[in-house]
Amino acid sequence: MKVIRLGSKIIQTLVRDRIYYPGKLMVDTFGMVARCGVLLLLYWYVFRLNNGMVNGTTFLIAAWSMFLYFAFSVLRLRGISKEIMRDIRSGTVEILLCKPISYLSYRMWWQVGTGLYSFLVISLVGVIALAFIVGIPETMSARIFIPTLVIVVLLGVLLSLFLYTAVGLLAFWIEDIDPVFWVVDKTVMILGGSYLPVALFPDLMYKFAVWSPFGASQFVTHTVYETWGVEWMMKVGIQVFWVVAFLVITLLLFAKARKKVSVNGG
Amino acid sequence: MIKELSFALYAIKKNIQSSAELRTSFLMNIVGMTINNTAFIIIWVFFVKSVGVIHGWTAADIIGLLGFSSLSYGVVHSIASGIGLTAEYVSSGSFDRFMVSPKNLLIRIATSRFSASAIGDIVFGLVCLGVYSFLIHISIVQIILMVFLVVVSTMVFLAALIAVMSASFLFTDAHAVTSSLFELFLTPTLFHGGSFQGATRFIFTFFIPSLIAGALPVEIVRDVSLEKLVIVSVVAIVWFLLSLKLFTAGVKKYESSNLMTFGN
Repeated sequence: MKVIRLGSKIIQTLVRDRIYYPGKLMVDTFGMVARCGVLLLLYWYVFRLNNGMVNGTTFLIAAWSMFLYFAFSVLRLRGISKEIMRDIRSGTVEILLCKPISYLSYRMWWQVGTGLYSFLVISLVGVIALAFIVGIPETMSARIFIPTLVIVVLLGVLLSLFLYTAVGLLAFWIEDIDPVFWVVDKTVMILGGSYLPVALFPDLMYKFAVWSPFGASQFVTHTVYETWGVEWMMKVGIQVFWVVAFLVITLLLFAKARKKVSVNGG
Repeated sequence: MIKELSFALYAIKKNIQSSAELRTSFLMNIVGMTINNTAFIIIWVFFVKSVGVIHGWTAADIIGLLGFSSLSYGVVHSIASGIGLTAEYVSSGSFDRFMVSPKNLLIRIATSRFSASAIGDIVFGLVCLGVYSFLIHISIVQIILMVFLVVVSTMVFLAALIAVMSASFLFTDAHAVTSSLFELFLTPTLFHGGSFQGATRFIFTFFIPSLIAGALPVEIVRDVSLEKLVIVSVVAIVWFLLSLKLFTAGVKKYESSNLMTFGN
């Protein structure tokens, strides 16, 4: 109960902050157009050259899949690694560990709150814009689409938070986690279907995208494919498995990391 | 001018020595960035395999594209990394210490920081261009063109960075704005060059010169196109001069927000 109260307080505060400073929303929107907009424009051209079909996938499906990836990335969950590293390098972690709240849950709620407002607004506006411009694929009107989308997004949020928290906690040992972060982040980017939709993956890469935690954190991009109707249970199962696995890894790492902290005071 | 350049070289040398002191971190940054960049090769090579050759762009050209863009990005971010921090310097007030320095303002800011990971970009860029040269059986003329175009592409990257960072003087906390603007320039430099045709090619050559940093140099080397070479060189010079003008105009708008310190 206490954890939920803390979480809702953090999120409320951060959402109010974002509403008060609309410039940040504008910047996020601009960033989304810069990356996703340009990419969709290029894919539209490429699909047109290939008579509207590549690897059995239409532009409509590819466009929605990539949009979902970029909309999810507006949540900025990966930023938690850098925040943890900053806390450790600056020594702020000592102060936060002394507080009567869980450091990890505080950081996670903070990260969700940071991107939530932009995520909701950009997703809503983006969905409407994309529906008008390219249309809505049939797969999105299936009955299971909305409920499974919500489940997959929630599990994706948890998995991303645990995955990037584990990377951030490495700062207790190696201080500069940037190289590890880049490798993990780019693996998520490739297997998540950012610049290349998962439907265009070769067989082996597709399997790796489905079974690895990096690809599983971005299963939201799979929800628009025709195979989703039969594969959603398996994919949700894979996500649940990785969420539990990374929760255990994160807690173990944190327990070890706490022992390394020496508070020098002052 | 010679004095300013020798100061810049001295500052860069000291920056590298300082970064190399933390040897493990230094090496990890270089290796990490090289692996990080490999991701783009994987993505675009699979893209070419899926959609086939578009406007003559093969997987080899993608390697050349990443070679040009990574090398020029790496050179700019290793010798002029400080420019990327202008927004933070302005908002924190530490920009004052550059203003009172007797050295050239832009050189002083540029050499205020060094990014070890940029060395990884340079290594990756050189390897890509080496592989590309091998794959296209490069001739002497193409080698000369390639070297010249690396300079042009670096100039465009530097111009884009300076132009974007000039916006730091227009907003209260411009970090997010400048990051997004630079992203708008950077993202297309890593995209498949063959898919930019018609209006998008025009926009991303003249208004946002992303294609000059990677895609157009590849096409010039591949086709030995002197016409494109002239256009690219002229646009690069114009952008560079324009960015210097924008920066000077921006500095004139600067108002100190110093918090009783000269920052660090």
